[in-house]
Order: sequence, then C-alpha cells, then structure tokens
Amino acid sequence: MANKEELYEIIYEALEDINSTLPKNKQIKNDPSEILFGSEGKLDSLGLVNLIVQLENLIDDKYDKSITIADEKAMSEHRSPFRSIDSLAEYAVTLLNTED
Amino acid sequence: MITDFLKDRFNQNPEKIAFIWNDNYFSFQWLLDSIENYKKEIIGNFDFNGKVISLEGQYSPHSVAMLLALIELNAIIAPITTQIESKLKEYHEISETEFIISMNLDKYEIIKTGNIAKNELITELRNLNNPGLLLFSSGTAGTIKAALHDFSKLFIKYHTPGKDFITLAFMLFDHIGGVDTLFYSISNASTVVNIDNRSPESICKAIEKYKIQVLPTTPTFLNLLIYSEEYKKYDLSSLKYITYGTEPMPESTLKKCLEIFNDVKFLQKYGTTEVGTLRSKSESQESLWVKIGGEGYQTRIIDGLLQIKAESAMMGYLNAPQPFTEDGWFITGDSVEVNGEYYRILGRKSELINVGGEKVYPAEVENSILEIDNISDVTVFGEKNPLMGNIVCAAITLIDKEIDQKEFIKTIKKQLAIKLEPYKIPVKIKIIDEVQYTERFKKGRKAI
Repeated sequence: MANKEELYEIIYEALEDINSTLPKNKQIKNDPSEILFGSEGKLDSLGLVNLIVQLENLIDDKYDKSITIADEKAMSEHRSPFRSIDSLAEYAVTLLNTED
Repeated sequence: MITDFLKDRFNQNPEKIAFIWNDNYFSFQWLLDSIENYKKEIIGNFDFNGKVISLEGQYSPHSVAMLLALIELNAIIAPITTQIESKLKEYHEISETEFIISMNLDKYEIIKTGNIAKNELITELRNLNNPGLLLFSSGTAGTIKAALHDFSKLFIKYHTPGKDFITLAFMLFDHIGGVDTLFYSISNASTVVNIDNRSPESICKAIEKYKIQVLPTTPTFLNLLIYSEEYKKYDLSSLKYITYGTEPMPESTLKKCLEIFNDVKFLQKYGTTEVGTLRSKSESQESLWVKIGGEGYQTRIIDGLLQIKAESAMMGYLNAPQPFTEDGWFITGDSVEVNGEYYRILGRKSELINVGGEKVYPAEVENSILEIDNISDVTVFGEKNPLMGNIVCAAITLIDKEIDQKEFIKTIKKQLAIKLEPYKIPVKIKIIDEVQYTERFKKGRKAI
C-alpha cells in the first residue's frame, strides 16, 4: 500500500523538473501545503499537465502501476485534487490503493 | 487521338531509352510496338470503350504500355500496384471495376468481374467520350477516396515541352506524383528508371549506375537517406535536381541536404491527387517559401487555407463529398502562411493539435526537434487530455541509442524551451525504434 509520505517525495521529485522551467518567484517549495493550481496557484494549466504526466511516469517506475491522474473523475471531484501538494498526494494514494 | 502528341515524340526518338527496369532497357520504339500489340490483342476480344478497368501489377514498362493502350481504347483506368487482397477488394468495390487486367511481365490476364459501373461521374465521363484515370488516396481519417480524372484535361500541361532528364520513378503510377513523373518524362522522350526496392541503398545504387539526374522524393525519404549515410558510398554526381513534396519539409532536413548535395538544386513541388502537381518556384534554395501555380493553375487563400483552381482538376471523388467550392476551387485543407507572392505550407489543418485553444502544427515542432543532436526521426501528434483538450506528444528515434534516455528527454525539453512557446513543447516524449513512415514515404501520424 502506498502512503502519502511516499507520494510527497515523488511529487517533490517531479517538481524538480517543473521548477527548472519556472521563474524564480514562482518556484514551488517542497511543502505539502504549497498551492499548485487555482487561485494563488503557481502553475498554469500547461504546468499542471506537465507535472501530472511526470508524476504518472514516476509512479509507474516506482510501483509498476499505471494510473491516470487527470481524467473526468478528477475533474468532477468536489474539491480539486490539484489544489495543493497535499491534495494531489491524497488523490494519487487513493488511486494507487484502489486501482488494479 | 488524345495520345498523338506523345506518340509524335516517341516516333521522333525511336532509339532513345524510355525505361530502365530490372537492368533491362526499353526504347521508345519498343513502347510504340507494345502499345500497338496490346491494342490489337484486346480489340479482337473486348470492347473497353468507357469501361472501368483495374490495371494491376508491378510498375513495369509493360504496365505503362498497357496503360497507354487502354487510354487509346478510351477506357477508365485505375492503375494499382498493391497486392494486399483486402485493399484490392475495396478498390474494386469503390470503382465498380468492370474488368481486371493482371500484368505479369509482358503477359496479362483479363478478368470480367460482372460489375456494371453506374457512378454518376463515370457516366458523365463516358458521355464526354474521354478516357479516365482513377487514383485512390487514403485520407487522414483512413478512409479511401477514389479521384476520377479526365485524361484529356490531365494531358494538357504535357503538351508544353519540358527538359530532358533521366528521372527515377520514386512514386509509382498509382500515385499522382508518379503519374506526373511518368508523363512529364515520356512526353519529353526522356528516360524513366523504375526500381522495385526503394531503400536508400538501392536508390543510391541506381543513381550511380544509371546516372540519374532527377530524384523526385519526399522529406521523409531524404531524412532516411541522410541518416542511412548510404549517399557516402556511391557516386551521386549525376544528380541535378531533387524535388520534394507531399508533406512539409523540416528546415533542418533541407539544411543538411544542401550541405550534403551542394551541387544539386532542390525544388519544392506541391501536388495533390485532386488537382495534380503544380509547378513551383522556391524563393531560394534554402527557403521553404514557394510560389506555386504555373500554366492552368490559380491559387488563393481563404481563412488561412489554400484553394486551387485548376484546368486539370479531377472531375470529382466517386465515393466522397466533392471538395470544391461553388465556383470550382479545390479546398486543399492545407494551412499556409503568405508573404507577398510566396506561400509557406504549414501542414494539414486536420493534423493541427489544439492545445487549450492554441494551435500547434506538428511540422513546426518536428522541425525544432530534428535540430537537436542525436535524433534521426520524429513524429509529433496530439493526445486527448481532460485539462487542455489535447497535449502535444512526440515519438523520436535516436541515432546513438546507448545513452541515458531519461536525461536525454529532459535535454530535449530544455532545448525546445528556448525556441518554442510552452504549449508547443511535447508533454510526452517516447523513444521508439521502429521506422516512422508509410509505404509512400510520408509521416504516418496516425500509426503511432
């Protein structure tokens, strides 16, 4: 079973690449409360897409499991899973532990 | 007769070589004799006037002689080189083929299918009492379309004398480019070299051996040629012209070609199954801007898309909605940029990737990727994405595969960030080993 702590680390790893493309004042910190997307978010939709694809790849490497984070289900969640690092980790954990 | 102008040229040059095929030489006298023989044999047994005939087999001198005989017999001919059964069946159905002529060297077999062609356009052509040409093209959606041409219109431009060159038949005679090469060459009593294998190696070998002067080809093949390095092994100094068309040329490929073949002139052509091949003039050798048109052609841009009015345009598709405006202009579906009299072909509008409302042409991204070291080929395509509508993806083939691929993908993205807007940079980059082209040496964006 995957846990949230592991997912934080994976998200931080994915963010290394994303940060290298972002300006200095938009750098995303390794902190679960960092806001990613939405109002006050540091990513635009393209940045978010890149982060998610990167994250999906890393999860595939680590857990040998292919999950789709951005799909209709994610878009229709009451609270956006893409809001913060914490919510993204939580959503990914749920997917990892339920999907086969 | 409609072929008189051709036969006049053949008669003036009976000793000249019309075809080189499988190391055999065929003169124009041979061609004249073969046409007559085929005609005599057929006339005694069949009436092909206005009949839809599927001419099947290799693109050999014999097949060309048969094609010309059938034109003189006023038939409607679909030249077909594929041997794939399911495709043949589909072609026969779409065209309502009435006879199949199956060529085997100089021998042939005629099969009556029992079909009776009733298509409106076929009837119209029969009423005009002209021979016809049927060409099949697979549209971007993968459906086959049959384009019907009236030979009397198609032949108009070959009445104007052109230049005498030894030309390689890169495209076969079931493709508009191949038809153009064939009739341009024979109408100038020039030699066409047909080869069965179109690998870079066998093409380079043929250029050296037969002193080929014109190589009509595609950007995809040129790219293949560069990375195969076969051109280094042969003497290609006979080459005067390399013409390319059918898809956008990546700037980087053109640049490399100009370095490798510095004595060769590169000419961009613009041709479609529907209107034929337009004469074109590049702004300069290294430029992708071209003036297209020539005698019998007019062009205009409507909503960023190229439209062409052509004397020699097809009559129409047998099995699809007609792609003409009410005033008779052919809607190409190609997006173009305009600079005075010059156009730059951006690519098919249907291949455009819409990323959150921003337009991305695969060719532009491919072009930028090819400028990066260690990449021999790339295909850019779109993938559906719930956040952006679509995202840009790329499949690349490496020259040196023994590298850290993950690091390399990062490097690609970093280098692209310098040149391209963020939405044009592929989100997904996949490294693949397979070749990335179709049997007609075009990029197969749907195939990946």
